[in-house]
Amino acid sequence: MKNCSRRLVSAVVFLSVLCSGVASAAEDQIRVMNPRGIMPAIQQIPMAERPGALDGKTIYIVDTKFANTKPFVNALRDNLAAAYPKTTWIGVDKVGGYMQDDPNLWAEIKAKGDGAIVLLGH
Amino acid sequence: MPTVAMVTSAFDELATSTAYKKGMPGLRVTFTPHPITGRTTEESNEYLKGKDPITGNPMLEEIIAGLRDKLAEKDKHAGTIEREERPRFLPSDTADNLQQMFHDKLWTDGLPIILPTEEKVKAMLKGTSHAPDEVVGEMRPSGPHEAWKFTVEMVAVNAVMAGARPEYLPVLLAIASTGQTSLVSSTSSFARMAVINGPIRDQIQMNSSIGALGPFNQANSAIGRAWTLISKNLGGSGMPGSTYLGSTGNPLNYGNMTFPEAEENLPEGWEPLHVQKGFKKDESVVSIFSGWSFNTIAWFSPLPQQDVIKNWLTHFFSFGTGSATIIVDPIVAVELKNNGFATKQQFADYLIEKSANPGWLYWSTHEEEYKKAKEDVEPFASYLKLGETAEVPVSRYVKRPPRGAPAGTPPRNPIEVLAVGGGTNTYWSGGDFSHVGSVSIDKWR
Repeated sequence: MKNCSRRLVSAVVFLSVLCSGVASAAEDQIRVMNPRGIMPAIQQIPMAERPGALDGKTIYIVDTKFANTKPFVNALRDNLAAAYPKTTWIGVDKVGGYMQDDPNLWAEIKAKGDGAIVLLGH
Repeated sequence: MPTVAMVTSAFDELATSTAYKKGMPGLRVTFTPHPITGRTTEESNEYLKGKDPITGNPMLEEIIAGLRDKLAEKDKHAGTIEREERPRFLPSDTADNLQQMFHDKLWTDGLPIILPTEEKVKAMLKGTSHAPDEVVGEMRPSGPHEAWKFTVEMVAVNAVMAGARPEYLPVLLAIASTGQTSLVSSTSSFARMAVINGPIRDQIQMNSSIGALGPFNQANSAIGRAWTLISKNLGGSGMPGSTYLGSTGNPLNYGNMTFPEAEENLPEGWEPLHVQKGFKKDESVVSIFSGWSFNTIAWFSPLPQQDVIKNWLTHFFSFGTGSATIIVDPIVAVELKNNGFATKQQFADYLIEKSANPGWLYWSTHEEEYKKAKEDVEPFASYLKLGETAEVPVSRYVKRPPRGAPAGTPPRNPIEVLAVGGGTNTYWSGGDFSHVGSVSIDKWR
């Protein structure tokens, strides 16, 4: 009888400790608000079809004029011209800095070109 | 039009994430080694014979394939990509775990935040009469990036995180409404500054006296810090590699130089900044400035203050060479007034007229003038004869409309003058900051 009582007391103590742990864990959980803003949906733009071959085509190499990068831009044009001589490679400078749009150049490329390489960065 | 972009490898994340956000996730990009700046023709040829350092493909062949080869079906898709859902609440967790999660997601400035519980945000919202769901505006890391939209409640969440009090909220809503991020995405590590004018300075107990630019006042500090959190979390800024590219970063970004002007201690005739910008003296206004760097000048000289400042301005240079903001202690302002400058603008005009250019800086940024000097065209030939270490008598600070502004835009004032400080000495500060705009705080009360 004595052992039985002892077991009962132990079980009650164990359960109460367990329950208080669960209650404490639940109390520790807090809910906070989302600090992030609303991102816009993305409008997908279909890419332009590629021609399958570049022979006889004209490709513009558009330099966005980052500082001190002209030797690379010119080397790109020269290397492409040497490796792919059946394609016409035209080097052009975009107007203004890299942030400035150049609608006239884009119109020229659309009218006279078959593709463009736009470069570069720092 | 078939197009291939070429970008240096340091910007792979920026290039691919921008292509995705602009709606062309399959954009053909060829990467070069970084940096390209200053490479010789021989070095460039070597690079071009090599491989794209990101994809491992031969560089020239990759460019050709990008222009020539037929597209995959997924590249031809039109339509809308919806972004991940934005729940109003985050999943519940312990305070420690949430604190760490905010850091891990780069939603903080690296310092502990106040967790934005609903109760704290509700209390913050008592600082404004505006509805929680009212859209405040949009913000983006820089021009080419996408803009994120945000509401009054979202600003309040970030205000709580920064340790702001509800009465600061109108100032933060005003700053946020400008759409100006404090974390501009540029390799040049921009800084920003917020100057508060009008009655709200005293109402929220800002410090315009001793140590006003330092960490000595809750309102100054929390408002500045909140702007950084707003920029990150509501303006999409501050993800290194994609929406933040400052090579060294800028310590001014922590508090964004947020302070009130010491209006009461301005000498008679010197108008507070907001009055200079067309507001009434009893209006509360925040003005946003943009720049990169700042010097604190503690210097005694037998020269009058205006000439010390003029000489400093001549030789100070940074990324920004055409704008400056001078912040003088009010007792320096009084000295300048006594030296004959009846208004701030008179003093600014003196600096515009009298400051010069170090020879090396002038000639390295004026190629055409250098050619003319070499061809004996005056006055450039005479300037060059002064020697490359001499001061060229041409100011860098010119009144003209902002770059790209429509015709008829009035000229921008290239030098601003502000007063702040406790008068413990006749010192001043200066930097390359320019005024971006001023907006009403009262509108957001």
